[in-house]
Amino acid sequence: MAAPSIPNLLSLRGSRGGGRGRGSRRGGPFGGGAASGPSHDTTIQGTDTDASVSRLSAVDMGYLEDPYAQYFVQNQMGPPTRRLPIINRGEMKATGEAAVVSRMFAAARLDRLIDAFLSSDVGSEASRKQIVSLGAGTDTRCFRLLSRSNVAGLIYHEVDFPTISAKKRQTVQGTPALRNIITPDPHQAEGDTFSTSSWSCTQLPNNCQYWCHGVDLRDLAKATSPILPGLQPGVPTLLVSECCLCYLQTSQGKDVIKHFTEQMPDLSIIIYEPVKPNDPFGKQMVANLAARKIHMPTLEVYCEPTDQETRLKEAGFQVSKARTVESIWKNWISSDEKERVDELEGLDEVEEWNLLADHYLVAWGWRGKGFEAWKDI
Amino acid sequence: MSDLDKAIAQLRACRPIPEAQVRELCHKARELLIEEGNVVTVAAPVTICGDIHGQFHDLMELFRVGGDPPDTNYLFMGDFVDRGFYSLESFLLLLCLKVRYPDRMTLIRGNHESRQITTVYGFYDECVRKYGSANVWRYCCDVFDYLALGAIVLGASNTLSPPNEHISSEDYANADIEIEVCNADGDIMSRFQRRSDGERSPNGASASAGEKTGPPGSGASGSSGGSTGNPTGAVLCVHGGLSPLIDTVDKIRLLDRKQEVPHEGAMCDLLWSDPDEIDGWGLSPRGAGFLFGADIVKVFNHRNDLSLIARAHQLVMEGFKEMFDASIVTVWSAPNYCYRCGNVAAVLELSEGGGGESIMARSNGDVGRSDGGMRGVMMESEGAIKNGPARRYRVFQAAPQDSRGMPAKKPVADYFL
Repeated sequence: MAAPSIPNLLSLRGSRGGGRGRGSRRGGPFGGGAASGPSHDTTIQGTDTDASVSRLSAVDMGYLEDPYAQYFVQNQMGPPTRRLPIINRGEMKATGEAAVVSRMFAAARLDRLIDAFLSSDVGSEASRKQIVSLGAGTDTRCFRLLSRSNVAGLIYHEVDFPTISAKKRQTVQGTPALRNIITPDPHQAEGDTFSTSSWSCTQLPNNCQYWCHGVDLRDLAKATSPILPGLQPGVPTLLVSECCLCYLQTSQGKDVIKHFTEQMPDLSIIIYEPVKPNDPFGKQMVANLAARKIHMPTLEVYCEPTDQETRLKEAGFQVSKARTVESIWKNWISSDEKERVDELEGLDEVEEWNLLADHYLVAWGWRGKGFEAWKDI
Repeated sequence: MSDLDKAIAQLRACRPIPEAQVRELCHKARELLIEEGNVVTVAAPVTICGDIHGQFHDLMELFRVGGDPPDTNYLFMGDFVDRGFYSLESFLLLLCLKVRYPDRMTLIRGNHESRQITTVYGFYDECVRKYGSANVWRYCCDVFDYLALGAIVLGASNTLSPPNEHISSEDYANADIEIEVCNADGDIMSRFQRRSDGERSPNGASASAGEKTGPPGSGASGSSGGSTGNPTGAVLCVHGGLSPLIDTVDKIRLLDRKQEVPHEGAMCDLLWSDPDEIDGWGLSPRGAGFLFGADIVKVFNHRNDLSLIARAHQLVMEGFKEMFDASIVTVWSAPNYCYRCGNVAAVLELSEGGGGESIMARSNGDVGRSDGGMRGVMMESEGAIKNGPARRYRVFQAAPQDSRGMPAKKPVADYFL
């Protein structure tokens, strides 16, 4: 091991590590309040607060680019909440912030799926496309996609609890930066309660539309006929569930998907949720979530990535695939991007990150027209 | 009862000691550590521990499983603080024990014993929360700067002493056990005899990953297969691993360690690097330190007459993981790391060798310095040990929930929801 045999790796490294841990502060508001006995619904709605806080933190640190994240985090007094690096890293791809992440992870599976879907030209229906985001919460993808000049003919639907969607409308209306992109139509369809929690913006540029449905997914599961106004069954449609269907009973989750498969011939789905509940890390994850009163009934049924593939096949999708976030990170993110992310903040939890990423997956499947581009991904 | 004993008793109950007492303790500790070399020499028997990360109740479990100090000699390979909820109590207790029993307690520095890292990963916040100011954090960081960078264990035996009082030592004298794995109660879970039975793999996981053998000729393997051995039995303990800038233990001794952990260079590498199934050196995904392969370890061990490198730094689900034909082992001592990883923890026991070599004065790192280092570290044990040291891993789980006393307001764990 004389000097000549030692490659000068330091020269390759540049100034890595220099940015590690600049006197950061992180506060406490993880996971919402510990109020006595909230209902499971409230608890699940609280996970959205979690996600929005994490998202903003990731933005603050440069992992994500999302100019809209700031508007959805309440209580912006004081310094921004900063989470541990691992949660930021997880957030930037694991929650599938697809449009945002597309800048950071051009090669990431989720982005590629959505971008490929949006850019593929079907030829019919004036190339219209539809995205239905289940349990969208405070997700900002709608703003990012609908403000893109190259996105045309997109009908974007979000479905969430009425309280959540009404709050979203309030936020959008009270925030010029958001209102300029999606201006809620003055008066919504029939019904009184309908108009505050279910709202839309049907006159977007480039022939785009936005619909926000204040609908409990369990009602969607029960519905025997189409109940989402503005949904166009003939348009190629992408269903997105980011940690959403997993909170429903397995049969309800099936019925939600069925609600769409029954009326839409050209349909695809992307599911992001936990996986592998039975190994030591997975068991601990289930126990810890249970301590937060969070249960994921489908996790017990779809334990492995192959179970998710079978799930989608049985739901009527011709092609189905599933990959853990870890394998996506390993195989689909370019090494340049990996290095770039590693340099953003010294990540001392490599093993922990690998474990965590190995317990989340992205499953996707499709049938019909409009998803030709997915074949090559 | 001296003030120090009182402080130990108070910290054992997981109650912080007053700021003034912390200041005094840190001052004493510094006086002690300043006299230690960068590489402390430690005589077997000794129990080697990996990362603790503020998991105080699990540290108590470690003492229950491994034996109480000072009855058991301990060597902690750093990362006492951050991530867990009781970094302060954990570190101060270890520091008290160090001051009280300096020859029976060895603490070396981990990459988390750093101002920068502790401001990100929790220790800073914890100090401010518990004392209302950053003073205690500052005192502790000043101690961090004086912690040794490594240790050399000499006089480790190639046979084990019995793991519990129910087994007679005669059974052990003839058994020629190289590796033994015990559970938290001292019951033997598995044993591996020295060299005769070929396939040895105490690590379930590493055995299953064992198809990935290293490049031809390197002998690298993901599984732990016992040691082909180097007759000296010296064991180098370091938090992370090797550095491309360090080819002898003596080069570690020459570093100026009394500073914040730098972002690069030899000192940084020793605290940040990881072994990996590669050839030579590679860039680390951690953004600091390097990855190093089996060939690097073997050349280093041969050159420095080491039979084993013990290191920590990486979470291993089984608590320990031997690699590269047992030339290096990772020891991890934080069970259910961050209260969410579901892993078990382990400590590594090395027994004292027979004969006279164990009656060796503790030295502070200057052994063999004058003879060029090639033979230095092995002087006292030469000839007595014909193979790698016998190793007993005691595996343990997280302390029971009710003894943990996790603060009610704390989140159980963060997941992506």
